[in-house]
Amino acid sequence: MQNQVWQLSNPIIGIIVVFITFVVFYVVAYLSNRASTSVQDLYATKGGVGPVINGLAMAATYMSLATFLGVTALILRLQVPFVMLWIQFILAIPLITIIYGTSLRRMGAFSPTHFIRLRYGKEASIIAALWMILVSIMYALGQMIGIAVTFETLLGIPYMTGLFVGGILIVGYVTIGGMSGGTNNAAIQMVIMAIMFIIPLGAIMKAMGGTGWFFPPLLYADMVPAMLDALPTFFDYKFPTKWYFALIPALTIGALGLPHLAMRVYTSSSLRSARSAMIWFALALGLVFSATYAMGFSGVFFEYTTGIPIAPADTDKLTIILNLAYNPEWVTALVIAGAISAGLSTLSGNLLAIGALISQDIVTTLKPDLSNKTKVRLGYLSIALGGLAAVLLAIQPPKFLIVSILWAFGLAGTTNASLIIMGVWWKKANRFGAMCASAIGGIVYVVVSPFVFPKIVVSGHALTDSMGLSGGMLAVPLSFLILIVVSYITNRMPSLMSQQAITETDSLVERIHGWSDINPKRYNSIVGPLIIASIGAIVFVWAMMPWAF
Amino acid sequence: MNAYKKEVWFTIIFTILFLFSGHLGLFFSIFPVEGNLLGFPIMYIVPILSGWFGVLFLVIVAGKIGNQIDDDIEKENQENSKIRGEGVV
Repeated sequence: MQNQVWQLSNPIIGIIVVFITFVVFYVVAYLSNRASTSVQDLYATKGGVGPVINGLAMAATYMSLATFLGVTALILRLQVPFVMLWIQFILAIPLITIIYGTSLRRMGAFSPTHFIRLRYGKEASIIAALWMILVSIMYALGQMIGIAVTFETLLGIPYMTGLFVGGILIVGYVTIGGMSGGTNNAAIQMVIMAIMFIIPLGAIMKAMGGTGWFFPPLLYADMVPAMLDALPTFFDYKFPTKWYFALIPALTIGALGLPHLAMRVYTSSSLRSARSAMIWFALALGLVFSATYAMGFSGVFFEYTTGIPIAPADTDKLTIILNLAYNPEWVTALVIAGAISAGLSTLSGNLLAIGALISQDIVTTLKPDLSNKTKVRLGYLSIALGGLAAVLLAIQPPKFLIVSILWAFGLAGTTNASLIIMGVWWKKANRFGAMCASAIGGIVYVVVSPFVFPKIVVSGHALTDSMGLSGGMLAVPLSFLILIVVSYITNRMPSLMSQQAITETDSLVERIHGWSDINPKRYNSIVGPLIIASIGAIVFVWAMMPWAF
Repeated sequence: MNAYKKEVWFTIIFTILFLFSGHLGLFFSIFPVEGNLLGFPIMYIVPILSGWFGVLFLVIVAGKIGNQIDDDIEKENQENSKIRGEGVV
């Protein structure tokens, strides 16, 4: 057994490539941001981005550094179950768009929390915003760890130095860039990422003896027999049906609560443009995701056919390791630049979301009379502070960088998704239901996560619990159930519900669906919430029952 | 009520179709199948293809229907305004 050190032998090439990449991003960010004077500009680029740019930006925001590094690491450890876990992530933007994105855009809300404020009132929006800050920081944490690991490999410096150098550069970039720079940059980054991931992958597959190197995402079937000889269990599903089911509440519904994803829907110039952007999103993301599975496959193939073990501490570097093993150093430098740009685009989305949450959703809600200038300043300050928090949390990283990111999805699903979905589709959802669902659901989710009370967990399978899959299967349906039941009860207490508030809510729900009148028969079903509450109760009970691994 | 019903059913049906398309792994964990497709085990490659091209196809169809429903709602709004006797621009 040898313990190899994986890093560039000549860091100069790497530094030059990364430097050039950063300069390009800074220039684009600066040019795009010169016109950004109001707080709406800073976050949502005046809603003036075309479908191709926006679709690519959606994909880039979503295709985080996790895709470059974290996914391949967990495919190496879990194999096919992790591929199945990752496939469903492509559903995020399409589901956001059809379920609530178009309604929120029609309303002029530029974040889900903004919607929650208008729909349920100040108190509920502050609870949701506080949870969202935690979600965004946990999401940013995974990216920050990836940045540090990348800089570590690039420069041969310790993890901690990489963390601070990379972290400060990126926080600086986002603080200068705003969303406008973000959207244009994200589209450029998507193209760079796709090229820097897929072409080197083709070269790796060719060096491994694969004949389908000219289209790596799908053409590696000729390596399958050798893989089955080396590792016969690679394609096994390994986990029970319950594990695959848990992906829906924890990750698919979780993605519906992520603010930085939903914000991309609002940057479209029109609803039609937002729908066209979905097509580009699905095309680009499907391509890169499929390439990621091929990279993970190649990593397992490499480890089991060459006999060179990849140390547990190095699994997050798998993509870089394969490049170091099979490609020239300058290619690895390009891959590292691609990984950094992936981290950059997602971090910029996360940090902007933190900025919006603190300055718009909390401070402005509490102090609405602040001047525009103060709000913009506060936004920049919040972005910088959010970045700093992620850097500090990354000092003691979890085992896999992707764990904190996946955990964040479940928390977003529990504390925000139910409020948004029910708020858009059911007039009777009220602020009491929303506040209870977000507060109780969120607390339950945090309590059953192994990070807080390691002994209170749902499934007992360490990775499943720390990724939030079991916690999400428990807390997300609970959150829907609480929202529906509490709303149903409190709506029958005249002292709690004023007629004026009910009329305002009815008018708001009709308006965001495009109606100019109020019809009591619309969005007022009893059957729909009853079905959702029943499914929620069944899934909740199922999650509590023993998990057989 | 017509456009409203369309909107609700469109959202329910497409949510289910999207979930199915992106979660074929769950389906195969309940109903496992043997055999290969394009050189890969079916239970590996079909979820990957469905999670890319299946979703892409649904996104194209959903975009077209979504635009159509917007137009229908707008039309019904104008008809309702006429019934109420309001001026229509």
